Amino acid sequence: MVNNPSDSLSDVPLNEPQTDLDEILKQVEDAPSRPQPSDNLLLSANGVNKSFGGLKAVDNATLEVSQGSITGLIGPNGAGKTTLFNLISNFIRPDSGRVIFDGEPVESLAPHQIAQMGMIRTFQVARVLSRLSVMENMLLAAQKQTGEKFWNVWFRAHEVKQEEKDLRERAIAILESVGLAHKANDYAGSLSGGQRKLLEMGRALMSQPKLILLDEPAAGVNPTLINQICDRILTWNREGMTFLIIEHNMDVIMSLCDRVWVLAEGRNLAVGTPEEIQNNSQVLEAYLGK
Amino acid sequence: MILPLGYLVSLIIFISVYALFGLGLNLQWGFTGLINFGHVAFMAVGAYTTVLLSLQGVPLFIAALIGAALAALLGLLVGISTLRLREDYLAIVTIGLSEMIRLIVNNQELPVGNGQWRSGVFGLQGFPLPFSNVTLNPLLQFFLIAVLTGIAGIGGWQLWRWMRKKLQQGKMSQSTPIASLIMGIIGGVLGLIVYLVGLLSLLDANSFTYKTGLMVVLLLVLTVVFWALERLVKAPWGRVLKAIREDEQVPKALGKNVFWYKLQSLMLGGAIAGFAGAFYAWQLATVYPDNFQPQITFDAWTIIILGGAGNNYGTLLGTIIFWAYFEGTRFVLPGLLPFDDARLGAFRIMVIGLLLIILMMVRPQGILGKKEELTLGK
Repeated sequence: MVNNPSDSLSDVPLNEPQTDLDEILKQVEDAPSRPQPSDNLLLSANGVNKSFGGLKAVDNATLEVSQGSITGLIGPNGAGKTTLFNLISNFIRPDSGRVIFDGEPVESLAPHQIAQMGMIRTFQVARVLSRLSVMENMLLAAQKQTGEKFWNVWFRAHEVKQEEKDLRERAIAILESVGLAHKANDYAGSLSGGQRKLLEMGRALMSQPKLILLDEPAAGVNPTLINQICDRILTWNREGMTFLIIEHNMDVIMSLCDRVWVLAEGRNLAVGTPEEIQNNSQVLEAYLGK
Repeated sequence: MILPLGYLVSLIIFISVYALFGLGLNLQWGFTGLINFGHVAFMAVGAYTTVLLSLQGVPLFIAALIGAALAALLGLLVGISTLRLREDYLAIVTIGLSEMIRLIVNNQELPVGNGQWRSGVFGLQGFPLPFSNVTLNPLLQFFLIAVLTGIAGIGGWQLWRWMRKKLQQGKMSQSTPIASLIMGIIGGVLGLIVYLVGLLSLLDANSFTYKTGLMVVLLLVLTVVFWALERLVKAPWGRVLKAIREDEQVPKALGKNVFWYKLQSLMLGGAIAGFAGAFYAWQLATVYPDNFQPQITFDAWTIIILGGAGNNYGTLLGTIIFWAYFEGTRFVLPGLLPFDDARLGAFRIMVIGLLLIILMMVRPQGILGKKEELTLGK
């Protein structure tokens, strides 16, 4: 079995000093109030299944994300979280199941079509385009660019140029907010791991999506940058962006999320507010073993 | 006349055909990362379509355009059937395809006009050539010189702007950009030679052959294609191609139809190669299936790697170096080595391989490639 509980113990920072967590929770309570997530479901996945050979990676999983929320998705290693991400964004086709995004079924659409509808994903190991500049990475993300059709490049050159100028301004504004503006002309490949995560998030935002799926935004990132990343997520959420986040760092999950879904061995284990999840004996069992 | 003008005109045509051909491959591989080992197939389709149509009485330029369109169609077919597979499969399929097309035109009966059919192995001769029935009247002479001067003017102006930019950059970083200066001077001298050769052969109405006219038209086509490609690769369209080259999951996750862009790149690159094929056929004046050996594809690969992948200027430079080497060794080597022609031919290709290996060790990014790009982590 992939997720032998005793194996996964060392990977889960559940055993961090409890005081840190309390402190962060307190900060969140003190923070200016965020808009309450509405009951409108932006994304709902129902009864999603996927097997790889004999292994049932995702088993009848369900997941819901409300408009305006920050929803967490946690679970021990090998629980199928990233696979579920891939199934929702159709990077891997589910064996069965229903995925409704923004009121429309998307399970038969191609990944790029889902992205065009406004669901943008990031990757567990940040994927940046190394030999393109940070700015080019950002500009790529903008949707419906006139200059993406080659005949427009020749025959509507002026329009393309003007659009490019506007996009540059928007990109610089986002880069400033993630603290990468001074790196705009550097190769993306020269960024550190944490900066790549920030670039990937900024790039996702650049596409003006409705929902951003973040796959472990804090993994392998130093604590200062983790704070910066969390701060960005909260700010953008206040501005109306909806997030679905996979994360192993419990502090991050507890401090950010409105609602947390727990997956174990491909199945739904629990769902609730961060406090409820923290005190759920089943969840603790899944992480720490009986 | 002391200068071997006819020879130089032919050389300029060959260089331009290869440059055009290389630009097509550079779009596919240098910018999009598609490993196309059968690029010559597009050239063969372009060449044969042009020649066969013109034998049926289709005007030359229209025949060449149809040739390019059919080459693009070939790109579409190859792309639809292979682009969903992994990269290496594209390499295998394309090299197979190019051999297949060569063998088809070798064995197939071809319509050579007047309702006659002849086996492809005998080649095609006596097909219409541009400017072949034209005498150089003053009007045409003036027109061709004007076109040539226009091209030279644009080229010179671009070179001047590039040099000025490099000098300014040098001033800011307190260093003299010697490499750029040398490169610029070489480029300027080469451009001037091309211009003078064209001018001299146009001024002397008696030595005018169809090749002189062909050269001017080809230089015009090369300039237009080069300009169009430069526009494309610097635009959002080119950005998507480069993103696909780097990591196709990223553009996919950002809503770009990766498959469709790869198809476009393959088709556009193929069309350019097809167009180059028409000029190749006109330059050769007789076309045999053996003119489309896989070697031609790998010549283009050598050219792109020499100049630096993903750089259109690099492709131009690579072509010039490639031909300078081949023509230079043709005249110099026989005096130095006691080999017969066949051995000498093989030896020249061997040395090209050796030079490539040395280049990859010393400057793996190619002559105009950027060194920083190699040091980046994925």
